[in-house]
Amino acid sequence: MIFEGRCWKFGDNIPTDRLVKAQYVFEPMTEIVKHVLEDLNPDFPLRVEPGDIVVAGRHFGQSSGRAIATKALRATGIGCVVAETFARTFYRNCFEVGLPALEVAEAGDLVRDGDRLRVDVSAGVLENLTTGQRGTGPAADPFLVEMLNAGGLIKLAAARPEIFS
Amino acid sequence: MAEKILARASGRRSVEPGEIVVANVDRLLMHDLSGYLTSQVYDREVNLPVRYPERVVMVFDHHFSPPTERQADVLGVNRAWARKHAINLLDCGSGNLHHAAVRSGFIQPGMIVVGSDSHTPVHGALGALGVALGNDSHAGTVLPYGKAWFKVPKTVRIEVSGTPLPGASARDVALWLVARIGEGELNYAALEFAGPYVKGLPFWDRWLFPLLCVDLGAKCAYVEPDEVTEAFVQTLPGGPASLDRLERGDSDGREADTVLRFDAGEVGPQVACPPTVGNVRPAAGVAGTPVQWAELGGHGGGRLEDIAAAARVLEGRRVHPDVRFNIVPSSREVFAEAARTGLVLALHEAGATWFPPSTGSNQAYNMGALAVGEAMVSTHARNFPGRNGSPDAEMYLASAATVAASAVAGTITEPQEVAA
Repeated sequence: MIFEGRCWKFGDNIPTDRLVKAQYVFEPMTEIVKHVLEDLNPDFPLRVEPGDIVVAGRHFGQSSGRAIATKALRATGIGCVVAETFARTFYRNCFEVGLPALEVAEAGDLVRDGDRLRVDVSAGVLENLTTGQRGTGPAADPFLVEMLNAGGLIKLAAARPEIFS
Repeated sequence: MAEKILARASGRRSVEPGEIVVANVDRLLMHDLSGYLTSQVYDREVNLPVRYPERVVMVFDHHFSPPTERQADVLGVNRAWARKHAINLLDCGSGNLHHAAVRSGFIQPGMIVVGSDSHTPVHGALGALGVALGNDSHAGTVLPYGKAWFKVPKTVRIEVSGTPLPGASARDVALWLVARIGEGELNYAALEFAGPYVKGLPFWDRWLFPLLCVDLGAKCAYVEPDEVTEAFVQTLPGGPASLDRLERGDSDGREADTVLRFDAGEVGPQVACPPTVGNVRPAAGVAGTPVQWAELGGHGGGRLEDIAAAARVLEGRRVHPDVRFNIVPSSREVFAEAARTGLVLALHEAGATWFPPSTGSNQAYNMGALAVGEAMVSTHARNFPGRNGSPDAEMYLASAATVAASAVAGTITEPQEVAA
């Protein structure tokens, strides 16, 4: 499961409240997606392109566990998200909504905004193609990879209900 | 306790940290926002019957009354959905999601309790395994099958001893622990709170430790169940029958491979400053910061203990003319008890304003928006910029006594300073 794209870098302890602000929660996704992370980088929702890669610092996606934050990030078209660490509900939601996620402890030191990155989520490897640097993290659990391949948890449960019944 | 409960609920003899299990879920808790998001996903993408409607509880706590037509529509959709699937609904005015669920007898020791609300781990105060999941878990597996997938967490035991300084309460110790350990530092762990300080606290003070664990990154947290837990559970509508699955005797240390020990002996009043809950400083260090709003409310606030503490600070004093002091009871039971014991009138006459039982100014859905440059000190559990109105407003989190003392002084003030 390999992704290649341009890096958008964000900081530490970013809450889901700042991915999708409270006033947009009930809006349609076409509207929500115009405001993702806009407080932290106003260019991001305007200029993000399909396949780009978001790299954040520690405890990314803390606060509310609502899946809409991960759905909005997926809806921007990014290929995957990397963080030094994720808040656990955010990490869980990424796989459940079909957005590949990888933890790389030193990710912040390895990338700059705009670098070309290659990320292998199932192997747990982040490569900076611009600088040649490389970092690794825990490979995604096979169950989570199966979930991604199915297109998320709801589709997995529909395809293989015996797991949950 | 986390391993024992997950093993039982997944039909296994034992489970190991790191493995993924599919376990039966005893309760799904949703508030008016997460309930709406989950029900929309369910109707659009799943659309199966709800397998165990009696296990599902929705509480309208972000709205005690909808301020816009759009929000009224959301509540109407939720009501119709709750009726259609015959789930439990506690409507506007019932109180904060977690307090109302406990007071209504929906939570029992040994249960697996899930919800989108990130503070769902708070039910560890009763010896339940509370875990926050996302909407798609609820819609995809909990509602149609009564199950969810869980990665078994490793357990970290946190033992607290000592007696905090005058003016400090359990909330100050809980905030201090978040700062000492560090936000996100115990990611994915199950936290077991114990030690003579925690074990010496009454139930609703213990509640604050699993509440604030979320900001350490923990998956779940609990206070080692004991006779205080048993006595509290017996006061609930479920009664003594609900003790069947209480897990005692966890202090054998079989699950906890790490033990962190803290002495709370030097802990005074603490304040979590913007921009995150982990930015905790001694209150003395931020004393003098002007506040225009003070509030007892939120997931951790509006307890009877908070209201009583505020009344003690305000006895013979008045709220500062530049401050609006909002009091939001955490449940109808708390409001009734405050009314019976004279706290409602005493705080009203001191200049505070009572709001309906709800989660108060949490994200300013029905109250509590801040203008540019304004500051609020509250017992809430979150303080991220932009969460309540302007991103250029400031949210400070503190104990009820510090909130009340600040409401009297007009600036952040330690409680013992007002009393002096």
